[in-house]
Amino acid sequence: MRLALRELRRRPGRFVVATSVLALISLLLLVLGGLLDGLTLGSTGAIRVQQADVFVFSATARNSIPRSRITPELRAQVEKAPGVTSVGGLGIGQFGAAVPDHAGLVDIALIGYQQPATGIPAPPAPGEGYADRRLESSGVSPGQTIEVGPAKTPVKIVGWVEDSSYVLQGTVWVEPGTWRAAQNANRPDARVADGLFQVLIASGSGTPASLAASIDAATQGQTETLTKNDAVLSLPGTRQQQSTFLQIIFTTLFVAALVVGLFFSLLTLERAGLYGVLKALGSSSGQLFAGLIAQALVVTGVAVLIGGAVTLLMVRAVPPTVPIQLVGGRVAFVVSGMAVAAVLGSIVSLRRVVRIDPASAIGSST
Amino acid sequence: MFLALKEMRRARLRFGLLAGAVGLLVFLILFQQSLLNSLITQFIGGLRNQSAEVLVYGVDARKNLEGSRVTPAQVEAVGQVPGVAKATGLGEGTFTVTAAGVLKDAVIFGYELGGPGAPTTLQSGRLPEKDGEALSSASKSEKGFGLGDQIQVAPAGVTMTIVGTAKDAKYSVAPTLYTSFATYESARRSVNPDAQVVLPSVVAVTVAPGASPTQVATAINAAVPGVEALSRADAVAATPGVSAITQSFGIILGLFYIIIPLVTGLFFLIITFQKASSLTLLRAIGARPQTLVWSLLIQVLIVVLGGAAFATFLLWGASFGTADIGVSVDPAAVATTTMVVLVLGLLAALAAVRRVLKLDPVSATTGQGVQV
Repeated sequence: MRLALRELRRRPGRFVVATSVLALISLLLLVLGGLLDGLTLGSTGAIRVQQADVFVFSATARNSIPRSRITPELRAQVEKAPGVTSVGGLGIGQFGAAVPDHAGLVDIALIGYQQPATGIPAPPAPGEGYADRRLESSGVSPGQTIEVGPAKTPVKIVGWVEDSSYVLQGTVWVEPGTWRAAQNANRPDARVADGLFQVLIASGSGTPASLAASIDAATQGQTETLTKNDAVLSLPGTRQQQSTFLQIIFTTLFVAALVVGLFFSLLTLERAGLYGVLKALGSSSGQLFAGLIAQALVVTGVAVLIGGAVTLLMVRAVPPTVPIQLVGGRVAFVVSGMAVAAVLGSIVSLRRVVRIDPASAIGSST
Repeated sequence: MFLALKEMRRARLRFGLLAGAVGLLVFLILFQQSLLNSLITQFIGGLRNQSAEVLVYGVDARKNLEGSRVTPAQVEAVGQVPGVAKATGLGEGTFTVTAAGVLKDAVIFGYELGGPGAPTTLQSGRLPEKDGEALSSASKSEKGFGLGDQIQVAPAGVTMTIVGTAKDAKYSVAPTLYTSFATYESARRSVNPDAQVVLPSVVAVTVAPGASPTQVATAINAAVPGVEALSRADAVAATPGVSAITQSFGIILGLFYIIIPLVTGLFFLIITFQKASSLTLLRAIGARPQTLVWSLLIQVLIVVLGGAAFATFLLWGASFGTADIGVSVDPAAVATTTMVVLVLGLLAALAAVRRVLKLDPVSATTGQGVQV
């Protein structure tokens, strides 16, 4: 092992090309993971922050918030469902909003809500709203009054909330009456009557799955109730994005293992004579192989560090339209994935190391 | 040639691993290219392949068709702008429909029959000629959207009969139906009894003969307050999400195009280092440098082409599981990508070529081999 590490110190040039390729693969994995997290987190914040066990949609909405309509009568049935202890309403409208001292309009999702969520206080007074911090870069700030939609419905911003965006748009959280006023003034074909919400959030006893089943049974199939996790995944494109990106990430990790395998099998081939001598001097196959794994891990570790540094620079350089976001968990996954790929890749050389005959050290070839 | 093939036969695992790695990387490029093209087409095909040359959005929609509404007064005002031959309302919305007895998502476009906004890529049947008829964008794999099928807006809304199908005419990655504005209006009202009025999403414009869509769009923006007019091409490019998708995939594909030649170049450089003494000996017994270089380049060619063939096979296999998102084997894309990867691979092998050319046959007589 010490010999392997000493070789890395004394002849680093030998490992430069492999390190470069693995650094690029790390960069690719981190960018892919960053894009996946940026897309997912930027789209699902408004759902993730809700402190509820289940989300209730109307049965024909196919889990689409804009298409769902829960009337007061249907809500009453949900409230009476066995196990339900609390119910709140949610309504979302997407608009262009005029922001003071900002050229052009800003995309916002105006959310009418009844129950406080994680990081979001109880609903503010009518005509007031909490803005998602994402909107700060568009010139929104507390104290301002923004004008929503072509009808210019005024909403005064009274504070910030965090990580609550919806389909990559900054959100403004208002009490239900303000949301209905904006919706009805700006979208006459999508009017919402008093008491009507698009979806309900509900909590209660039992597991979320059993609560969902209880609600759908109580409404006799007029609702489709999802657990919070399923509601997050039901947002447009979220499930497909996750599966596509994860497939690409795992295939790329497999390529990383192949690159490590290729490099170290060539290195082992080159050192066959040397390994023969070391074996003749008493080194075991295990010791030699441990050295190879140590080298693979060090090379991969350095590559991941380089890839990570370049990724950080890239994240700062890309235009804001590219939704890239580095998350600790994803970085840890990439680092551990690369380490596993390095170990698996170096196993390709194991057979050759084991087969080296110490007696070959006596001859001129192995 | 003989030398190159002989060596590859004797080191099948080594070259197989390399061809496998290159193949997987090329597969990822081909898969993502196909996915990108398919996503973009399914995302905005309905806008790209319709007859309106200019689309006029409500200014607050920020070029988002789903969020745009225009008033009848704005439709009329657009029609008065010089260069506009015809201007009519075009409605768009996403609905839940019952097709083949199952609830499904569908986008419905409502346009004035015979006017701008009609699909231009008719594949079978005909365009709708009266209320209650629709043209479908759906492929054969989507049951319930074929010629003669009946589709009902849920719950208990208007029913449409499919009278034709169009190619590449999806919008928002959902089956898309093109029908009369009146039918669209009925659909809107059926899903929201509270709706007071159903406004068009945009104004669809045909420009006068000889007029440029871009100039007419500029004239509309100057003459009509509260709207944002875009030529069809600009409307497609400006659709929210299109640039984000294109840029994101661009970054990923760019990285893949850098990694493939580096992997190939790395392999051949290392292998040349290892063979240095043998190559020197070959030079000493009379082999010309060109022979050795050709041998190397032939190996690069075989590895890249083998990798590309493996990648195409993988893509063909993947296309069965991803038919719904439109991933398919496009021979032109495969050929172009293979050529680009081959050229990059050959360029990356130049370092190894340089090393071969630097070999000194005299060093074979010194017993020291070649210093690498």
